[in-house]
Amino acid sequence: MNPEILNELYAGAGAALAPLLWLAAGLSAVLIADVFAGLKAVRPVLVPLTLGGAAWSAGALISDPAGAVLGGSFLADARTGAFALVFLASAALAWAQARRYYTEEAPFLGEHDALLLTAPMGMILMAGAQDLILFFVGLELLSIPLYCLSAFRRARTESVEAGLRYFVLGAFGVALFLMGAALLYTLTGSVSLEGLAAAKELLASPMGATGLALLLASLFFKAGVAPFHLWVPDVYQGAPTPIASLMATGTKAAAFAFLLRLVPALPAEAGVGLGLVAVVTMAIGNLGALGQTDLKRLFAWSGVAHAGTLLLVIAGAVAAGGTDHQEAVRNAAFSATLLYVAAYAFSAGGALGLVAWMEADGEEYRSLSRWQGLGTVRPGVAAGMTLFALSLGGIPATGGFLGKWLAFSTAVRAELVPLAVLGALTSVVALGYYLRIVVDLWMRPRPEDAAAPSAERPLAAFAAGFSAAMVLALGVAPGLLLGRLIG
Amino acid sequence: MPLLTLITFVPLLGAVLLALAPLKDDRALRLGALGVTLVNAVLGLLVWQGFDPAEAGLQLVESTPWFELPGAIAVNYSLGVDGISILMVALTAFLMPVVALSASGHVKQRVREFVVWLLVMETGMMGVFLASDLVLFYFFWEISLVPLYFMLGIWGGSRRLYATVKFFLYTLAGSLVMLVAAIALTYQAGTTDLARLTEWAGMQDLTMQGWLFAAFALAFAIKVPVLPFHTWLPDAHTEAPTSGSVILAGVLLKMGTYGLLRFGIAMFPMAAVEAAPLFMVLGAVGIVYGAFLAMAQTDVKRLVACSSVSHLGYVVLGMFALTTAGLRGSVLQMVNHGLSTGLLFLLIGMIYERRHSRELDAYGGIAKVMPTFAFFFVFSVLSSVGLPGLNGFVGEWMILLGSFEASPTLAAIAVTGVIFGAVYLLRATRLMLFGPVTHEENERLPDLDAREIGLLAPLCLLCVVMGVMPGPFVERTAPALDRVEARIQSAREQLELAATLHDAPAVAGEERTR
Repeated sequence: MNPEILNELYAGAGAALAPLLWLAAGLSAVLIADVFAGLKAVRPVLVPLTLGGAAWSAGALISDPAGAVLGGSFLADARTGAFALVFLASAALAWAQARRYYTEEAPFLGEHDALLLTAPMGMILMAGAQDLILFFVGLELLSIPLYCLSAFRRARTESVEAGLRYFVLGAFGVALFLMGAALLYTLTGSVSLEGLAAAKELLASPMGATGLALLLASLFFKAGVAPFHLWVPDVYQGAPTPIASLMATGTKAAAFAFLLRLVPALPAEAGVGLGLVAVVTMAIGNLGALGQTDLKRLFAWSGVAHAGTLLLVIAGAVAAGGTDHQEAVRNAAFSATLLYVAAYAFSAGGALGLVAWMEADGEEYRSLSRWQGLGTVRPGVAAGMTLFALSLGGIPATGGFLGKWLAFSTAVRAELVPLAVLGALTSVVALGYYLRIVVDLWMRPRPEDAAAPSAERPLAAFAAGFSAAMVLALGVAPGLLLGRLIG
Repeated sequence: MPLLTLITFVPLLGAVLLALAPLKDDRALRLGALGVTLVNAVLGLLVWQGFDPAEAGLQLVESTPWFELPGAIAVNYSLGVDGISILMVALTAFLMPVVALSASGHVKQRVREFVVWLLVMETGMMGVFLASDLVLFYFFWEISLVPLYFMLGIWGGSRRLYATVKFFLYTLAGSLVMLVAAIALTYQAGTTDLARLTEWAGMQDLTMQGWLFAAFALAFAIKVPVLPFHTWLPDAHTEAPTSGSVILAGVLLKMGTYGLLRFGIAMFPMAAVEAAPLFMVLGAVGIVYGAFLAMAQTDVKRLVACSSVSHLGYVVLGMFALTTAGLRGSVLQMVNHGLSTGLLFLLIGMIYERRHSRELDAYGGIAKVMPTFAFFFVFSVLSSVGLPGLNGFVGEWMILLGSFEASPTLAAIAVTGVIFGAVYLLRATRLMLFGPVTHEENERLPDLDAREIGLLAPLCLLCVVMGVMPGPFVERTAPALDRVEARIQSAREQLELAATLHDAPAVAGEERTR
């Protein structure tokens, strides 16, 4: 290739791709350090160093956006930077939870960490993708590490089963995506989002609608939106808890970050339909969670409900298309999604982190009944879980409340008021099971046969404390963290 | 001095300090909580002193930017007090030390958690009454659910888990509908400042006002509770520990009536005028129905809880009469109900601590054994039924007067409630206090001790003061309520004008066809 073209292609790409480069360098270093016995000692430092560096360069994108690079297929703007911070935070939480989590798999932690650093690369590519090809690369870069990580506890049937289930269904989702992208390309001759948005009339044809529907279906699959949610509880339950946390927070955030990018290509008439899917997803997720006794399944179902709320935001952004407040609503949709996924990352990540921590005292801590009366023996853990549950339920002074406010406000501004009301009512059901956790923690006596959990895991404790601080900060002083991006 | 910020956040600060304090002794924790609430009571007194009775608008205003919502809507941390909220703020500040002091009788376990939640509760309640920004109000409104949820769930009676979850979900269902309405209101008006929202809302047509009113009113009606939504209240009251019941009856329910007044009537006057007949009927039916419920109870705590439904019916009735006397009476009655029902719950708690039963049958002839208790009980009952010279009389009388102007029929129905009220409360008094001592174990019940008398006496004193000279209380609310009334008056005129305009073309059309 002509070097001049190359120069042009990669002009300014350094700053734009810096978070990805950090991650790539870090995961290589982890793999190398894993090979040489003498370097084993530096391994634990490499992952936080990599994530920190990536976060620093992602933060730089917020104040100083690098713009579109790689021939316009990757947009490194403030939004990509902000979402990247959320992904990196999810990955960092998952990593902190994974320390001392594995027992017989401990010798393979090098591979584990390398895979853990690959997934956020895919997420960042998804968030900044400006065409379907780059998005597809991101999707695969995200999914393949997660297939492996889900099955990481290879001696356990449930883990292998989770990995296989996720893989088979994931392959199915990918096929849907490729089919949809192919149809859209045949129709419009373009794979770029801009090209798709420009060819809106063509997209209204049956072929275009089918293409978009297939595309959305694959994204719904990744995000766990009904009716593509059935894998979620099984996979979360079987996968190692830190990985379930990463899937719940990171993957969902990445799918919605790309959905936001896709909004201009969707016809405004689809808004109400999407809103209906959103409300149905919220209802299914919340009703599904109501009867769960396994905490991981419970948070999986609640994750489905949260995906529904996030989809309501997207529906609002789509429905506002063509109106004179289109831009205002779409900007609001971005703020809402960002705040929501950030709050969700710390609440769900924090809650699953506590589950992972307590699992060190025995796997029965996956069951809610083991958490009964924990407030009397481990008040710190119980208080953290309470805070995370209340944040997931959207009670004020937590990030979850503000996320809910912003999410519903996007829908209301796009005049989807009845859907917003229905959605709000399904979150009453949600409080039904979040309160059950709180009831068990504080209001029931400790079972006679349950010893007080004793495992001390400083890093997990630090991660939980940090999550709790972030949940409160997002709820009380959102301006401090997101002032530049919101509004 | 940022007085309102202090009165709101001193309890929270106290809660944090007590949560972390290296105190092993329960007594020290209790004293700490009492100290914090007393400091807040002093702050309450300063607010009361600093409040100018002649001024109708918000006073002692504090405002700083908080954050910005998408769409460049600035949310402010802004607090203020006016005639609608001053009595509630004062009542909260006054009741909390009493509650803190009463807790040592019935909270023996997990004292640290209890005092923390108690103080967090005070922050939540103050915030609700003082917030003059919609987002801030909603923030405190929902947050104030949490402490009571814990107080009920941890220190409550045997069916507490059922009652707590029911209480939480009922209130939350209403709140979330209000959330959507609050969002719609915010974006339609482009502000979250309550004064500007009120101004904006007053200029909207009936359809817009109607929808928003309906959503807000639903949330508050559940909280009050207005009749069809009342079923959570007897459960919550019965299962709550004494201090929880006192807070619930004294302040939390008033958040509902306060909301109806500030957000329902003052904000959407046209819709309120249209909805007034419905609410008056619900209020009047609530009075009678609550009274019948109370009559059928054998558990004395449940009896008082049902009487709350009845008494709050008066508040709703008077408020939606939309007359001078009705509005003033209902605001006054909010305080009165807090005092007299608070007293009753405290007394029931005290006898329960001695006898561990709340069944009316378990007592009888207590007046002989516990004369001081009997004195306070009779006093509270008389205050509750509205004996002239005590606080309840003034409020009830004004409400009945006000609602008579609006609807003589409903006022007549409400008056029967006064009689029924006397029936069930006096019956309970007779069964518990008088006659022979029927149970042997009641013969050695110790009478009230100094602590108990000390916490009842201030409430009783206030009952007398409010009964004998209600002037200082009424005059502080009057200017703000007069302003509400003026808004209602102009809304009525607008509605009449709209009605004539609506009829006019029809008449013209008829003439043309002729």
